[in-house]
Amino acid sequence: MNINKITNGNELAIALEGRLDTATAPRLEAELNQSIGGVEKLVFDFASLEYLSSAGLRVLLSAQKIMNKQGKMTVKNVNETIMEIFEVTGFCDVLTIE
Amino acid sequence: MIMGNKKQNISGAFRRWLLLLVIIAFLATTAFLWISQTKISQNNAVNLLRLNISDVREDIVDASDENLLKLAHQIANDLNQSENITSELLAELTEKYDVTEINHINTDGIIVASTYPDFLNYDMRSGEQSAEFMVLLSGETEHVQSYQPVSYDASISRKYGGVTLENGGFVQVGYGAERFQKDIDEFVVGVTRNRHVGEGGLIIIVDENWSIVSDRYGNEGKNLDVTGIWINPDEIAENQSFVAEVYGEPCYCMHQLTEGYRIVAVMPKSEAALSRNVSVGVTTVMQIIVFAALFIMIFILVKRLVVENIYKVNDSLSAITEGNLDTVVDVRSHIEFDELSNDINSTVDTLKKYISEAEARIDAELAFAKAIQYSALPSVFPPYPNRKEFDISATMHTAKEVGGDFYDFYFVDDDTLAFLVADVSGKGIPAAMFMMQSKTLLKSYAESGMSVEEVFTNANEKLCEGNDAGMFVTSWMGLLNTKTGLVTFANAGHNPPLVKHADGSFTYLKTRPGFVLAGMEGIHYRKNEYQLEKGDVIYLYTDGVTEAMNVDNELYGENRLLDILNKNAESDTQTICDSVKTDVDIFVDKAPQFDDITMLCLKYNGEETSSMKELTVAATVENIQVVTDFINEQLEASACPMKAQMQIDVAVDEIFGNIAHYAYGEKTGMATVGIEVEDNPQAAVITFTDSGVPYDPLTQPEPDITLSADEREIGGLGIFMVKKTMDEITYEYRDGRNILRVKKYF
Repeated sequence: MNINKITNGNELAIALEGRLDTATAPRLEAELNQSIGGVEKLVFDFASLEYLSSAGLRVLLSAQKIMNKQGKMTVKNVNETIMEIFEVTGFCDVLTIE
Repeated sequence: MIMGNKKQNISGAFRRWLLLLVIIAFLATTAFLWISQTKISQNNAVNLLRLNISDVREDIVDASDENLLKLAHQIANDLNQSENITSELLAELTEKYDVTEINHINTDGIIVASTYPDFLNYDMRSGEQSAEFMVLLSGETEHVQSYQPVSYDASISRKYGGVTLENGGFVQVGYGAERFQKDIDEFVVGVTRNRHVGEGGLIIIVDENWSIVSDRYGNEGKNLDVTGIWINPDEIAENQSFVAEVYGEPCYCMHQLTEGYRIVAVMPKSEAALSRNVSVGVTTVMQIIVFAALFIMIFILVKRLVVENIYKVNDSLSAITEGNLDTVVDVRSHIEFDELSNDINSTVDTLKKYISEAEARIDAELAFAKAIQYSALPSVFPPYPNRKEFDISATMHTAKEVGGDFYDFYFVDDDTLAFLVADVSGKGIPAAMFMMQSKTLLKSYAESGMSVEEVFTNANEKLCEGNDAGMFVTSWMGLLNTKTGLVTFANAGHNPPLVKHADGSFTYLKTRPGFVLAGMEGIHYRKNEYQLEKGDVIYLYTDGVTEAMNVDNELYGENRLLDILNKNAESDTQTICDSVKTDVDIFVDKAPQFDDITMLCLKYNGEETSSMKELTVAATVENIQVVTDFINEQLEASACPMKAQMQIDVAVDEIFGNIAHYAYGEKTGMATVGIEVEDNPQAAVITFTDSGVPYDPLTQPEPDITLSADEREIGGLGIFMVKKTMDEITYEYRDGRNILRVKKYF
């Protein structure tokens, strides 16, 4: 999985490419821990993400909890497979999906 | 039971001893009676003799007294008429009356005149014999003495008589025996000759010279010797009985001297004995009657009171020793038997209590042993759900106690299934222990990779070691090659199994069996082969099946077994086993089960044609990618749609990730992932197998997906997603492995 991070002031955009799963989720988690401080707007671009697993959901959930306190988090370009996962897990109600 | 054949019975012994006692008592009484009666009869005889002598004596004395007093009175008359009494006058009178002696005694008791000058002036009081005459001076007018020694000279015997004189004083006249005997002999003969002493006794009178005066047999004048009696007066006292042979017959005799006569009384012994014999005879007859009655009565009493009751007690005891502990001894006729009955009954009650306690303990231990025995046998069916090449079922129904039957099956390698049934000789704990030993040995040899005949050969050697109890095992063991269906087998004295052929009928697979296991050292077993085709069934059993017996003692038999198998030829293995058991149960009905009923049924399905692919890797997070690639490769080969593949990939990630994280804790273990793509409908079946801690993810509570981000817990989502995206998911824990199977249609 590739993580492309673009920081613009207090705005952070992360584009994921590949698969966000058990093996790769810790890397995203580490990246966020390092960069999320002071961020008021966090945008995930899933255009190139093939799928994610529960490990990925965990990372997204913990990011959402942080951003609930310091700003706003959105997820965009969600494909059908991932959207289904969001739907069955109720994440579509938790996350802001564009 | 108590009385051996060679031992005496009580009544017999009692009869013998009682008889002996009665005889002794009878003899003793009779002997005593004989002796006492003899004595009594002797005494009677003696008394009779004495009485007769006394009678005769009195007669003689009376006669001689009368004779003398008559003379004395005549002399006194003469003297009363003379003026002067002188010794000369007395001498004349002596001549006249032919007497021996005449004395004149004055009123003072002094002899004043006498035919014997020596007697003059003799004081009559000075001698005992002469003093008796003093009565004549005190009023008596006459006095006579018996013939006896005189006072002044004991060697001379005289008979004296005295008569008072008119002029005072008295005259004493004396004469010798020969003088008065002349006068009274005739009289004496008259009173004695025909006198009978008893019936046959007699009186013999002899004079002082042993010359017979009177005798029934006319021997007067002869010496007493002719009668056979000879008396020495110094040895045989008067009035004392003695025995002599009188006229040829033994007799009791007695003699007495009276007035110069010797009276001899004689009584035959036989007469005296007669009374004794009669009395002893009568008493003896009475005794015999009394003793016989006593004997019979005592014997009957003993028999009735003791022996018959002992037999009753004995009968009850026999019943008890034959095992009927509910028998009650109930002989209440007498206190002793009542107590004996109570003692025996309480002993039996105590015994019963101990037996039931021991039985309860043994039952508990046997039940425990049975449980251990059962737990040693594979008991979960189907045992290998993943193995489609064969189905296997087995059952064991033990008889009341633990037995020695067992079945067993296990893989000795990936493609070789060992299966067997065996029957240990005997029953109970020893058989069960030997069964465990046999089972363990066979398994360890088989698992070491030996061929079946080597397994038997080696197990036999081991089982023979220390087999002091002489137990043995019959067994039929086969090794099935699950790929080819070839069964290599060996038979150690066991019933041949049945096999179902392509035409659907069972036949016995008979081969020459080897010797039983543990029977003898150095046995080498043969290997046989049988090719199972697809759909073939092989049925193994112990003789508990064919030798099950109904109430009419008929055996279930091989033909009934063949019939029921053929009826169920198309059934699955479990149904075949159950059907045989049911059929046996119906046949046996209410008869008790004597032997274990054990069977094993194996159906060969042929090698699995499915294309299950497996990958075994270390269960690490790093290997998730390896596993996902392996799965994707299979899915792409099957033209799996992209979306289904993505969902499967997520499922693999979740499940394998879980195994990697949790299955082995801190350690790293292996995990196997298998995938099979089924046709019609198209589906992928993926199994995850690990040997970590048992964990069923399906029992996890589902997360609440309606909560807000802040309220939601991190975790629990993975398996939830798998459940939602996959079509089937099952979990089982078997043989130490977690097996999770998911199925996704596409």
